[in-house]
Amino acid sequence: MKVKINFGNKFYRVEIIKLSEDLVRVRVENNEFFFKKNEIGEITRVEPPTEKNFSWGRGGYLNVSGKKEIKSLIAGNISSVEVKKGDLLKPGQKVATLIAMKMENEIIAEVSGEIAEVKIKEGQFVNTGDILIILK
Amino acid sequence: MKIIKFQTIVSTNLLAKKLARKGARPWTVVISEEQSSGYGRKKSSWFSPRGGLYFSVILPKIEIRTLQALTMISAFVLAKVLKDNFSLEPFIKLPNDIFLRDKKVAGILIENVIGNEIKASVVGIGLNTNIDSFPSALNNKATSLKIEMGREVDNLEILEETIKEFKRQLKSGSP
Repeated sequence: MKVKINFGNKFYRVEIIKLSEDLVRVRVENNEFFFKKNEIGEITRVEPPTEKNFSWGRGGYLNVSGKKEIKSLIAGNISSVEVKKGDLLKPGQKVATLIAMKMENEIIAEVSGEIAEVKIKEGQFVNTGDILIILK
Repeated sequence: MKIIKFQTIVSTNLLAKKLARKGARPWTVVISEEQSSGYGRKKSSWFSPRGGLYFSVILPKIEIRTLQALTMISAFVLAKVLKDNFSLEPFIKLPNDIFLRDKKVAGILIENVIGNEIKASVVGIGLNTNIDSFPSALNNKATSLKIEMGREVDNLEILEETIKEFKRQLKSGSP
């Protein structure tokens, strides 16, 4: 969507593009801003994703070094970790249980690959967007 | 609504979660006459002998902001069914227990399956319906509809009323 906004007697060209289900890019003249929905649906400004760290498709995110990651969609306490370094993950496999909002949440993998690093342990608090598992 | 019935099962929630992971349709219900290892939050056990109502329902995919209210919605749904159908005065002890005259009559356990989005939410309900008595350890803490009302109730009818109420509340309650 492209619009022109008149602000302080000056016109600005504004372009809004939905990059993925929850990521939006707003370009004002030559400046780009990125916004994402957090777990309670609030829109927050985020750092610009680079070609390397942004995966367009489903199935995890690619980080700067090109590795795949499993991130937490919600904040809560990890009550169990079901996988370890070196495990071969399959899509649908349970990786951890997270207690949040008085509910038990099974975190499952949606990607396949060998686990390079497990970043969480039992009892740990994780925030929305925190990396739980890094895959090779 | 698809109902999968068992005479006995380890836990209705365990099976419902497994079915949900495999992409079972929303409103699929797993019900059993008894559970050998019924459980609640933090894996506490739930006394599940014959006579009680034990079921788990797979809900349609919901947004995270609705998910936050799901424990309250579930407790409200079950309390409403008890109040409307039996003129009882249930007390909701948040997040997920229902009491009658200071004794626990029902427990609710919600488990979600989360990947890149919320894949499924399973609501498990254990309701003490036609249970005559409890072991001594639970005797002062638990009660049943039969003990409170002096008569048996129809478990399947309560199940249907509960699902109906869930559909109503989730439809009107989602933003």
